[in-house]
Amino acid sequence: MSDLRIPIALFFGITGILLMTVGRNHAALTDAPVNLYTGAAMLLFAGVMAWLARRHS
Amino acid sequence: MSLGTIDYAVLALYFGFVLGIGFMMRCKVETSADFLTSHHSVPVWITSLAFIAANLGAQEVVGMCASGAKYGWMTSHFYWVGAVPAMLFIGVFMMPFYYGSKARSVPEYLRMRFDEKTRALNAASFAVMTLFSSGVSMYALGNLFHLVLGWDFTASVLLSAAIVLGYTFLGGLTSAIYNEVLQFFLIVLGFSPLAILAVLKAGGWEGMRMRMAPAMTHTWKYLGDASQNPMGIQVFGMVAGLGFVLSFGYWCTDFLVVQRAMAADSMSAARRTPLVAAFPKMIMPFIVIAPGLAAMALGQMNSGYAFPMKEGTGGPDYDMALTTLMAKFYPSGMLGVGLTALMASFMSGMAGNVTAFNTVFTYDLYQSYIRKGAPDSHYLRVARLTTVGGVALSIATAYLARQFNNIMDLLQLVFSFVNAPLFATFLLGMFWKRTTGHGAFTGLLAGTMAAAATHGLTVAEGKGGWISPTHTFPSTMAQNFWMAIFAWSFCFGVTIVVSLMTAPKPEAELKGLVYGLTEVPSDEHEPWYRRPLVLAGIVVVCLIALNAIFW
Repeated sequence: MSDLRIPIALFFGITGILLMTVGRNHAALTDAPVNLYTGAAMLLFAGVMAWLARRHS
Repeated sequence: MSLGTIDYAVLALYFGFVLGIGFMMRCKVETSADFLTSHHSVPVWITSLAFIAANLGAQEVVGMCASGAKYGWMTSHFYWVGAVPAMLFIGVFMMPFYYGSKARSVPEYLRMRFDEKTRALNAASFAVMTLFSSGVSMYALGNLFHLVLGWDFTASVLLSAAIVLGYTFLGGLTSAIYNEVLQFFLIVLGFSPLAILAVLKAGGWEGMRMRMAPAMTHTWKYLGDASQNPMGIQVFGMVAGLGFVLSFGYWCTDFLVVQRAMAADSMSAARRTPLVAAFPKMIMPFIVIAPGLAAMALGQMNSGYAFPMKEGTGGPDYDMALTTLMAKFYPSGMLGVGLTALMASFMSGMAGNVTAFNTVFTYDLYQSYIRKGAPDSHYLRVARLTTVGGVALSIATAYLARQFNNIMDLLQLVFSFVNAPLFATFLLGMFWKRTTGHGAFTGLLAGTMAAAATHGLTVAEGKGGWISPTHTFPSTMAQNFWMAIFAWSFCFGVTIVVSLMTAPKPEAELKGLVYGLTEVPSDEHEPWYRRPLVLAGIVVVCLIALNAIFW
């Protein structure tokens, strides 16, 4: 498993899921669900990395 | 600022992954070349991202945000006039000599091109400098985490150092480079939401423009006169000092970054490394500088955000801009990601320093002057021990910085004297075959002395003027840029004069090292998107567009 894309996909996949699960937390100065949006972006990124790794193999 | 369980979970996950990547790379290390140079085996997308990440230390991230708040959007010149053009230059013009020479390090290239003394001078000053900068950034990180989270200085310094040591010891340069890619993505994904949220809250670009002095949101418009802009510099000082001398000097000669490109798996990939890296590098100002500007604007609005002030003296505390924004815009969860990104930026910077130090110490100092001709397994062992020693010395430097801030300032100044003239030496060495070793060595010394003299004869913000103050600069930044210009010019002139008076190396010995005597590989068989000149052309067009939009 020396394709770097796999650990990157795993890391951002797990972090993305963690962020989505606490999605409702709000910060002092913004009403935007920052955790939810960034979590979704990370999951998408993880998906792209995993897809690239799979295509390469 | 206090962290929740989820924040600690993200941090722990990150630590687990960087160590895991170290383990993954462990089995790839069999020789000293595997450990110290990655044996020319790393794919180009990885070397490219590592090329930028090694420079994206915590001080760079925190410092760029601080400069954004202090000097405004003009700070983007560090990228759009400084780093990116320099990256194009090394990719298109210089990489064929570095990679083609088969040198294992920048000092080794200097030995092949010039002579032993020029290499020794460069290797010794580089080795001390890398340790020093990793120590100072460790100190900055310990301090920041203490201020923001109340963490114990010793605990955060030792923990982060132990993790960097763990993965660099296991997998050497390859492990550091692979981790730098993970760190790069984390930095981008961890800081971009902050930039977006803060800028939107400040009313977007228009909102920020309306609330700040006009010079704060332009790059070139107020550079005609030094008194009209917050940096106190004009066009020539900016383009020649920051752009040509300092940035080219750093990006084209500093082994810390050059090492990443030299790890690429072919000459073509090594040339493309800085060119591909230039694309994300162009975008970085929007991620690291824009939040600083937004913080300044938000501080002037009734937004609930107050710009941080220093205790006692009462002036703005620019270095705290980034973390105070995070505290206000990131809820628990993202806060963990943001702080992990800060930790990642620190680690990528530190691992960059440690791996570069390793290679220079083992090959250029130990193998050259202490023990020649030993079996490779011996050098691999020395390299591993050097990693431990390098980290230990960095920790010692961090404590020294904590105790004696003045000594650190002085050392930093001395390094800036040594670094300023370097680019002139490389430029002449690579493009003028008549340049001699004596010329290069004397030129470097003359340039260093010229830098010191400029500092001693001028004053800026109370600094310098230790010989006799004859001129006053409006800011230390202007003083730095001019110091670099004088150092470069002296080095350039003296190298030429001394070279003309001394005997050159025979041409046969310069093959592969100098322009005109080196075969630059043809890239005609490559598809257009892999040709260095095409990539550089696209970057230039984007760069002109960015400078025009934010004129």
